[in-house]
Amino acid sequence: MTNHPAPIFALIAEELGRIAADKGEVLPPLTADSRFLDGGLPIDSLDLATLLVVLEQRTGQDPFREGFRQFTTVGELAALYTVPA
Amino acid sequence: MTGRRPAWIHPDFRLIEGEGLFGWPELAGLAVPTGGVVQADRPSRVLAALAAAEAAGQGLLLARGAADPDGWQPGQGFSVTLESSGTTGAPKRLCHDFDRLRGRLRGVAEEGARWLLTYDPGAFAGLQVMLTAAAAGSLLIALPGAVSGGGGIAGLAAAARRHAVTHVSGTPSFWRAFLMALGEAELPLRAVTLGGEAADQPLLDRLAERFPGARLRHIYASTEAGALFAVADGRAGFPAAWLDEAPDGLALRIADGVLEVRSPRAAPGIADAEGWLTTGDLVERQDDRVLFVGRLDGLVNVGGVKVSPEAVERRLLAVGGVADAAVSAVPSPITGHLLTATIVPAPDVDVEVLRAALRTATTDLPPAARPRALTFAHHIPLSAAGKKSRKGAA
Repeated sequence: MTNHPAPIFALIAEELGRIAADKGEVLPPLTADSRFLDGGLPIDSLDLATLLVVLEQRTGQDPFREGFRQFTTVGELAALYTVPA
Repeated sequence: MTGRRPAWIHPDFRLIEGEGLFGWPELAGLAVPTGGVVQADRPSRVLAALAAAEAAGQGLLLARGAADPDGWQPGQGFSVTLESSGTTGAPKRLCHDFDRLRGRLRGVAEEGARWLLTYDPGAFAGLQVMLTAAAAGSLLIALPGAVSGGGGIAGLAAAARRHAVTHVSGTPSFWRAFLMALGEAELPLRAVTLGGEAADQPLLDRLAERFPGARLRHIYASTEAGALFAVADGRAGFPAAWLDEAPDGLALRIADGVLEVRSPRAAPGIADAEGWLTTGDLVERQDDRVLFVGRLDGLVNVGGVKVSPEAVERRLLAVGGVADAAVSAVPSPITGHLLTATIVPAPDVDVEVLRAALRTATTDLPPAARPRALTFAHHIPLSAAGKKSRKGAA
């Protein structure tokens, strides 16, 4: 497991669960090593794009404003957000 | 159907479609529907139908499922009619002369080329990839049902690895998702091609870094004007010098911020008397470069699909319990853009009931056209001009 800031991880899990539920899918338990688009999670690229918009709405942060930053796993995405103290 | 191999299918051409392997003999053995209409969901079926229509000297409609093909007339002689992937209403149909469709293709065999089909086989770009691989005698890898940028991305990445593909052409949205699905896996790519929407510089830079051995090109084409030009210098947009002298027999000019072209490959009858044709693409000249900045008709690209925020907004406004609605295109690092909606509920409306009604009202739209991340508000912010601000949509 990689280190991840817990609050943003929980937020990702919550919103990803909601996006999956909207499609009638059930999200398997998430870990920091869960990969977004390798077929293990019931989400497609539109769902992932939705997650990033919702995360921006809820955190006020857009880590991609200055260009794309590579991430493949949930933990890597979580690390792009700074958690308010 | 006919057993004679068309000149545009090289004898060495092979198609791997899911678990099936096709050469010309297998394609020739496929049943082809009569009447000149084929459901263009599988490359094997499309290629077999093209060969049959050519042999019969008949028109062919590559149907993409959305519209009733009744009433379509094949016309005189062999031609190919493509359907646009419209998000609302009937799809646009455009008839192409087959030789013109193949106009830019180079039938030069590239030793051991293995192509991955990321486009819909009934789309203009998909047909270009299929015809390129067929003419060159290459191997073409396809997954039935996998569309670019959609849920099939994991399958496409797995197929790309399994068959060690060397040539991949896809939309920028496909490439963003593909890079993620591929992770760190090695791929012997020799050609990386982008098309279907404007390629942005950050993505071109990432592709150049990830696949340093590959030729990187972005293609500019439109359904009406055909394939226009390819840019191979790794930079977004195209050289401003092309406004004075363009490659491949083209002429380019900017009129009121919109790119216009004169092309020997345009579909017949759509240009003005001097041969100029508007592309509907808004461009800006910046120093030595011309950059694409959006669409004149307000359409935005969501994961490679052109969608109309206005049309989706009109739908939401028609839902009972909606007092006002605004659909905006917000930039996305994954799909280029994403439609989001702000909804003002009528008084005393249960928001959860309304949420379900809004979802029902958009279920028949392609996934890319459904508004995501619905938010409920007391009012819609208006711009200074009194219009709903539609940020992100040029």
